[in-house]
Amino acid sequence: MDTPSRRLTRSLTKVESPEQGKKRNLQSKQNFICLDTPTPINVTNPDQKRYGVNIGLRCRMMSSSSNNSPKTQNISKETSEKAAQNCSLKKMKDPIVAESRDQLKGHDEKINKIMMDIRLRQYQIISQQIELKDELRAMQLSVNEKINGFTDELRRKLTGNSTPHVYSSPMVIYTDSAKMKTKEKNSATASVLKRILVNCSAQAKQYGSCVTARVPEVERDMCLKEFLVLKNCMRNVEHVGMSGKASASNHPGFSVSDALSHVYIQYPPLRCTLAGTRSFLYDDGNKLLLGLTSDRVFSWKTAPFNPHVAPSSDPLCEGPVLSIRYSLDLKLLAVQRSNYEVQIWNKQTGDTISQKCRSESESILGFFWADCPTCDIVFVKTSGLDFYSYNPELKSLHLVETKKLNVSWYIYTHESRLVLLASGMQCKSFTGYQLSSAGIIRLPRFEITMAKSEANNKPILAAEDVHIITVYGRIYCLQFDRVAMLLHSYRFYRDAVVQQGSLPIYSNRIAVSVVDNILLVHQVDAKVVIIYDMFAESRTPISAPLPLLLRGFSRASESKELSGPEIIIYGDGWSFLVPDLICDVANGFLWKIHLDLEAISASSSDTPSVLEFLQRRKLEANKAKQLCLAIARTLILERRSLPLVARAIDVLITTYSQAIKTGSHQRRTNTEDASPSGVSNLKSSNTEVDESSRVDASGIKQESARGIENESSNRSTVSASVSDVSVSFETMKMTSHNLDSSSGQTEGGYMVERETSGAQVDASIVQSQILGSGSNALNANASEQLESQVSSATISPADLYRFVFAAIGEEMAGDSSYLVSIIVEFLRSASLEKLKVDPNIYVLIVQLLAREERYEELGLFVLNKIIDPSKEVALQLMESGHQNVQTRKLGLDMLRELSLHHDYVLLLVQDKYYLEALRYARKNKVNTVRPSLFLEAAHASNDSQHLAAVLRFFSDFIPGFKNTSDHHTYCRIVADMNSSIAT
Amino acid sequence: MGLSSGSNASEAVKLCVFDLRRGQNEGQELDKILFFYPADLPFTTQLSVIGLSEGLITFTRIFSPEAACDVIEAEMHSHVFYEAEPDIWMVMVVEKNKESEAMWRIDALRRVLKEVHTLFVMFHGSIRELVDKEPTGGLVRTHLYYFIMDYLSDFFIGKKLHLPNFRDSLKERGTVQMLTVGREVAIDVQSLVRVIESCAENSKCYSLTMFQDLLVSTTLSPDDTVSLFTYAVLRLTPQALSSGVSSWSYLRKGSTACNTSAGAVMANSCPSVDQYYNSGDTSPVGNRSYPVVRPLQNDKWSKGKDGFLVTDIWGAEFGSSIPTSPTIWLKQTEERMYLCAYQLRSLTVILLIPVSSVLNGEQGIAMVKQQILENASLKMFKVEEKLSRGWGGENAYHVSGYRYLLVDGDRYVSRASPPGKVTTLTKDSLVALSNLREEVDSERIRANSDGLSHEKDLEICIRAKNNAWLIARLTRGKELYMVLEKANETLLYASDAVMKFSDRYCNGAFSLE
Repeated sequence: MDTPSRRLTRSLTKVESPEQGKKRNLQSKQNFICLDTPTPINVTNPDQKRYGVNIGLRCRMMSSSSNNSPKTQNISKETSEKAAQNCSLKKMKDPIVAESRDQLKGHDEKINKIMMDIRLRQYQIISQQIELKDELRAMQLSVNEKINGFTDELRRKLTGNSTPHVYSSPMVIYTDSAKMKTKEKNSATASVLKRILVNCSAQAKQYGSCVTARVPEVERDMCLKEFLVLKNCMRNVEHVGMSGKASASNHPGFSVSDALSHVYIQYPPLRCTLAGTRSFLYDDGNKLLLGLTSDRVFSWKTAPFNPHVAPSSDPLCEGPVLSIRYSLDLKLLAVQRSNYEVQIWNKQTGDTISQKCRSESESILGFFWADCPTCDIVFVKTSGLDFYSYNPELKSLHLVETKKLNVSWYIYTHESRLVLLASGMQCKSFTGYQLSSAGIIRLPRFEITMAKSEANNKPILAAEDVHIITVYGRIYCLQFDRVAMLLHSYRFYRDAVVQQGSLPIYSNRIAVSVVDNILLVHQVDAKVVIIYDMFAESRTPISAPLPLLLRGFSRASESKELSGPEIIIYGDGWSFLVPDLICDVANGFLWKIHLDLEAISASSSDTPSVLEFLQRRKLEANKAKQLCLAIARTLILERRSLPLVARAIDVLITTYSQAIKTGSHQRRTNTEDASPSGVSNLKSSNTEVDESSRVDASGIKQESARGIENESSNRSTVSASVSDVSVSFETMKMTSHNLDSSSGQTEGGYMVERETSGAQVDASIVQSQILGSGSNALNANASEQLESQVSSATISPADLYRFVFAAIGEEMAGDSSYLVSIIVEFLRSASLEKLKVDPNIYVLIVQLLAREERYEELGLFVLNKIIDPSKEVALQLMESGHQNVQTRKLGLDMLRELSLHHDYVLLLVQDKYYLEALRYARKNKVNTVRPSLFLEAAHASNDSQHLAAVLRFFSDFIPGFKNTSDHHTYCRIVADMNSSIAT
Repeated sequence: MGLSSGSNASEAVKLCVFDLRRGQNEGQELDKILFFYPADLPFTTQLSVIGLSEGLITFTRIFSPEAACDVIEAEMHSHVFYEAEPDIWMVMVVEKNKESEAMWRIDALRRVLKEVHTLFVMFHGSIRELVDKEPTGGLVRTHLYYFIMDYLSDFFIGKKLHLPNFRDSLKERGTVQMLTVGREVAIDVQSLVRVIESCAENSKCYSLTMFQDLLVSTTLSPDDTVSLFTYAVLRLTPQALSSGVSSWSYLRKGSTACNTSAGAVMANSCPSVDQYYNSGDTSPVGNRSYPVVRPLQNDKWSKGKDGFLVTDIWGAEFGSSIPTSPTIWLKQTEERMYLCAYQLRSLTVILLIPVSSVLNGEQGIAMVKQQILENASLKMFKVEEKLSRGWGGENAYHVSGYRYLLVDGDRYVSRASPPGKVTTLTKDSLVALSNLREEVDSERIRANSDGLSHEKDLEICIRAKNNAWLIARLTRGKELYMVLEKANETLLYASDAVMKFSDRYCNGAFSLE
């Protein structure tokens, strides 16, 4: 495509003076960004009519530029109108936008013209972009150091005032698009331009270089390809900025979008769109998303997350539904119909039980199913808790226990098995119960302190401001203090609730998710998410606040499903489900939140802590492992300072060693040991369960001996201990999603009760081992399969050798001594943890040292046994010792010390020490070396006495030697030699 | 210990260095002499010594151009020859006297000559270069004079030069003594070494780590290791540093037993060079204008506040009181290196940094030192702690019942019974051992001159007059000398004892049969 105006402006740019060019540049930049604002340029666009796309333009630059793109220029008018309508509809919601839309009316042509103009002038920007690119690179390096300051800045900006805010930093730019239209033009311009520069510099450079290369002959479709790439990129960037929509970022070979976000949701979502769905509810006990229609309840399994899972459905009687939950064995369905009534429907028999409360004095706040031995379902009422057990025979509920207290509201998560009951005027006094398989545990009552905005103001704590999270098998309660703008964390121990510190909040609406033991605090208003790793006690975020990214969503797929609703990140319809799901209620989408491990690890320069972080990841263990290996390789290849690399290696080795000690690092031998025969199957099952119980122990070890974890490890039912019962098995649980289904069905059969003994860790381990031995082989096999599928992120020394040292050995040829230093650190780490290392690494050391002819050091390494003696090493020493006799001797000595008599004698003979070899052979009774070798060596030395001696030796010591041809040959030779001497 | 011997020191030992390429014309013979001890000897005497030596060298060269002359054994004297550099000869004349314990092993004396030469070369470069630099010879004479006199000062006991005699038969000059460490500590040491060597950014550094006066690790070539090790034992180790301060005598040293051969004869502060320096006009150093660095000068090193050893031997930078960093030459790479020594209690770490890589001189060195303090001080602390914990004391390498010397000729490493234990041997045994070693030496020289690259195995067992067993065993470059005084009568017993020793302490290197 080439338009007259394009050609015109291009020639214009060429002739204008530098000063003018500057001006135009500025202008174009502004125009480029602020398309929504009216512009005073009165240029008519001759192309406007031809394409008929002007309607779409006033809304969104995206549609206009896509219409301008050569490929889509013939897009139908209907389509664009539709898009335009779509977006004008949206705009109507916003009065300011509506106003500006009115202003815009009649300026379509101008805008269109400007669009064209801009595209043509992009190449003026390019030169700046190229300059800026280097600058950005430099800034990228310093960005990590700036993160702390960055957070403060964010806080100041977001909380300090109500004016619209743009958040920007050298690398990380976030624009709050919802309010963007009302803000000053300049800042917006700068921000988006910056973003474009960040994102599209590569494309821009390509395009720019192409244009500059061909500037003399301006022609049709000049540098079209490069232009398209650049435009595409820019469009995406500004699209995100302008409309608040994430857009396609998966351009081949270009993944900068990853760097802009640490948390993402993957397109496509689980679509729960069914006609007539009234509402969505989440059953976290069974990890089911429930969609209600007038007469049915549809359930989608969310674990494991599969976007294409088909729903199952059950009929549902007409009537209001306040909440709905399946029992944990999925046989019963409980529906809260009103504040006074809960109905329980048996799926198999179709019977319905109705449970009501005294309507005058109390009301039902909610209910949940429990897998505690004494009760099956718990009702939370304003007057307290009712624990019921379900009797399948009588098909009735039986009241087990009642806890009387006033309850204002409650929160419960199934993964923690913890219900928190709020009471008091301000609802800040909490009582907690944990309904574990060991029974019902009452937690100490605790009060939450809240900041007051005024002296006499007594804020009331709302249920949505309190969250229960489980990370690393610990339970925390997070409380959002709206006045102080802080998120307080409380950690639950069995005998205490301890406040743990606070996290800053930058938004009036927040949500909390936990992905792979990482806490995600969504600042919903600011549309950013801050991630924390609660493992360490420090409360500094892992990285800067960054937007949530929509991944894998491309324009192409959108255009295919044009009717599809819009995806709005942090839209109003989003509700966050425990622990890591987002339900877009408006659209019926269910998203799963993922961590972008690459981006997180790329964003920090403190490599050892990045490695620690990655090593703790269980969900994407393999990915984390690969990342760790890649990081280790890069560290070495970039020749980072020795102490840094040493620390990094320490991290890897230490975590591996800990994993070995606690047994959570699965050894392949386990799987190999397990034979399919019945008897040994039982045996292997024992080992497996032992393993899992050791995991538990580790969980406890990290804690003090007290705490809820103890409790939960006491209450293990065998099947459940492997799957998802208790909190302290959280580490295990990450690997056991697959098992959920199977154990869910079989759970009843394997329920083994355990007495709640003291909180002694050892005792509990022993007990669980005993239980393990009684467990069914089938269950254990399941966990075994599972372990072979999901590995942990820990890296064994062997892997470290194979994927790091061996892999880069060749590349480091120029700097062997550096690599040797690294390997020494590796050995130090390994020996500190008493780990065996691959013998090949010693061979590698020998090679590296010999390559640089550092034989003296090599000698020290061998003499001090830093290099573990082995045959491989000895032979390598012999080989490397071709240049250096001492080294060769070391190899020989090593063979001797290893008692490899045959090799030793053979090599001695080869080195012409045949007499010594002979003596040694006699002493150690080596008779595997052919006599002819000795004789040849003696003959070669041209010493008839020696030859005769060797001959005599074999004649005496090897029976029948006298009859061999060797004997005859050499006898003659000796005789010849003697006669020649005599003459 | 024969301290009361009445013989005059200056007559008993003469040491000279001369250059055969100089003074070829008649009347200019004095020009040949680069160094003569005692310096106050009349020139005629000096000339007669050198004339005899030169004559013999010229004569023997006819038959053996490569290795001309080793030794002249006269009735009263032995002349020990050492060709330090082509045509530069060092000759030592010692008096033979059975009464005054003047019984020598020639090779031990030659090793003294060799040692002083390698040390000289390490600090000043080769003699030939110095000779060529200034043809009048003043420069080289000054350097040699101060250097050798400083070196000899360590051998003085009273006014007498005490050269290694038969009592030192279980010692080997020119070797290093190593500390045996376990694997874990060895790895820690290596890790420390790497960190230290990485402190000087991207230049190729070398290091030498010592614990007390024992070598722990080195990245230098064997030759350079020996030279630097010798120097460190003489002047840098904690013992060497403290010896200058405390009142210290040879006798005390003998009983407290230093672990190294060099240690036994070092640091005698009695007659310093300065006596000779002031002793009159006969000194060959007539012209004093040459700036001379005297690395072997006593009591010049001290430990600085930051743990680095400092000395003003190399002078100070102009206009400042900061001493110039010492520099040495490496034989292997022929590079000039800055010497940086850090000492933490018993641990001494010497880092060598190429002069060429340090652009801004002292400032650069200071930066490297800073780096070391930052990156490695914790590691050094830990290593020192571990080494001290594992250190068995001065008698760590004593094997009861045995008096031994173990030499690894390939690596220039030796280990011996602690000197305190060696002194318990009778004079007879020591004299016999000295003779035995003399035999072995000559056997070795013969093998070398035969051009046999093949290392010979050799085993000698001698029953001495006092019924002690003297054993020498050579195998594949390793040597073992042993005195068994309280051994049984049979040879079988003796060889069995050797076998046990070899299996236990030498990884079976000497138990081939």
